[in-house]
Amino acid sequence: MKRRVKLMFPQVLIKEPVIFTMAKKFDIMPNIRRARITDTVGEMVLELEGEAANLDEAVKSLSEQGIDVEPVEGDVLE
Amino acid sequence: MSYVRGLKCRECGREYPIEPIYVCEFCFGPLEVVYDYDRIKADLTIDKIRSRPTNLWRYRELLPIDGDPYVGLHAGFTPLIKADRLAKEIGVDELYIKDDTVTHPTLSFKDRVVSVALSKAKEFGFDTVACASTGNLAHSVSAQGAAGGFRRFVFIPASLEHSKIVASLAYEPNVVAVEGNYDEVNRLCSEIANKYKWAFVNINIRPFYAEGSKTQGYEIIEQLGWKAPDHVVVPCASGSLLTKIWKSFEEMHKIGILKELHTKVFAAQATGCNPIATAIKSATDVIKPVKPDTIAKSLAIGNPADGFYAKQVVYNTGGWGEDVSDQEIIDAMKLLARTEGVFAETAGGVTLASAIKLVKTGKIKREGTTVICVTGNGLKTKEALEGHVAEPFRIKPKMAFFEEILAKIGN
Ligand SMILES: Cc1ncc(COP(=O)(O)O)c(C=O)c1O
Ligand SMILES: [Zn+2]
Repeated sequence: MKRRVKLMFPQVLIKEPVIFTMAKKFDIMPNIRRARITDTVGEMVLELEGEAANLDEAVKSLSEQGIDVEPVEGDVLE
Repeated sequence: MSYVRGLKCRECGREYPIEPIYVCEFCFGPLEVVYDYDRIKADLTIDKIRSRPTNLWRYRELLPIDGDPYVGLHAGFTPLIKADRLAKEIGVDELYIKDDTVTHPTLSFKDRVVSVALSKAKEFGFDTVACASTGNLAHSVSAQGAAGGFRRFVFIPASLEHSKIVASLAYEPNVVAVEGNYDEVNRLCSEIANKYKWAFVNINIRPFYAEGSKTQGYEIIEQLGWKAPDHVVVPCASGSLLTKIWKSFEEMHKIGILKELHTKVFAAQATGCNPIATAIKSATDVIKPVKPDTIAKSLAIGNPADGFYAKQVVYNTGGWGEDVSDQEIIDAMKLLARTEGVFAETAGGVTLASAIKLVKTGKIKREGTTVICVTGNGLKTKEALEGHVAEPFRIKPKMAFFEEILAKIGN
């Protein structure tokens, strides 16, 4: 199963290997499509592929670390 | 006889054919309609525009439909009011109100986007139209969808103003009130849009839908005598309207109708939902989502899809962003009504109150022309003024009682 997400990193986590750690821990294949990363800003749009339950756990774990996780499909205009 | 070249990813620039799609398959960036401006420049003249009926389709070469418009034949071409009394109150020389409180048929600028979205949905062959809405969009899809003979589904947050819910229900669409905020309504709708083959105007029809907002900008230019204003103040929810007003100015410049373009674009938000204004003020490129809490419910989008692009427009044009409290919104709604006879919804209060702050802080200069985009009618959010307007004088039907009051009021 695939899920498209947009991640927003707090400044303290920008230099950490967050994606790699998540991928290993939850057996997920990340596919980064777009990123905007500077010293103060970390924004990443990616597709995650894995078991549905693992995806849920991975997203939960990212949120718990203080990363804002938004589904890309949530990007809707009013 | 369309002038549309195709769809193009705003992030990576990949091009796509005209289809009901909205994200780039490669980078998941949003898709945008691109036109053949050389042909438009050759074909579209001021005289041609002037010769056409006064509705938003008079700029049709710059809109993404192939055939004749299907709905919205009376939408757009709202008044641009020269607001001298208000100008004096807020301290600018030349002020105009773009008055979309009287857009046909549902009294908000959403009639513009929906006119284009449903005309395009018809061309694509859809029989069902849908939307996720903070209220105004639901209203317009309900009404114009009825006029177009579509089956309709509108999704709204259950906490919406009662009058807005009733306004949609009058047209007998299927209204689904979701127990959650707008961003949650959105997520649900994205899932639904993936499963059912409907024209979700702000999901799979979004690149076309959003183009409708440009007509507000074209009209401003036409009504200023084919000139762009020095300042324009735009209310932001997703940020789409702001980016499209700027796109409309740039297009008018590109096709040679505007000789000069140096407009500064300003973003207006409620403090209770200010992700775009915050990013502008703090000069960061990331739009940090917020949980909305404001009376300006039509602007209550905590995770604005076009926030980044709106911020870019503001920066590139030398504008700024401001946000205002609920009390400031109410005061501005009353000021607008009292000085110019325009009763706007809360979003209009946000725009005017933000403009006032921008003038006070010197971000908007007194000199030059300022246009304030007032995008929805006050009758839609009457609840917001409850307890904030005076009581009527109540008397028995006798002259003496009336004169008693008159004496109290004085001159
Ligand atoms: C009355 C009114 N004004 C302005 C807006 C802002 O629109 P946008 O999402 O394009 O920023 C909305 C959006 O819902 C609205 O209803
Ligand atoms: Zn792309």
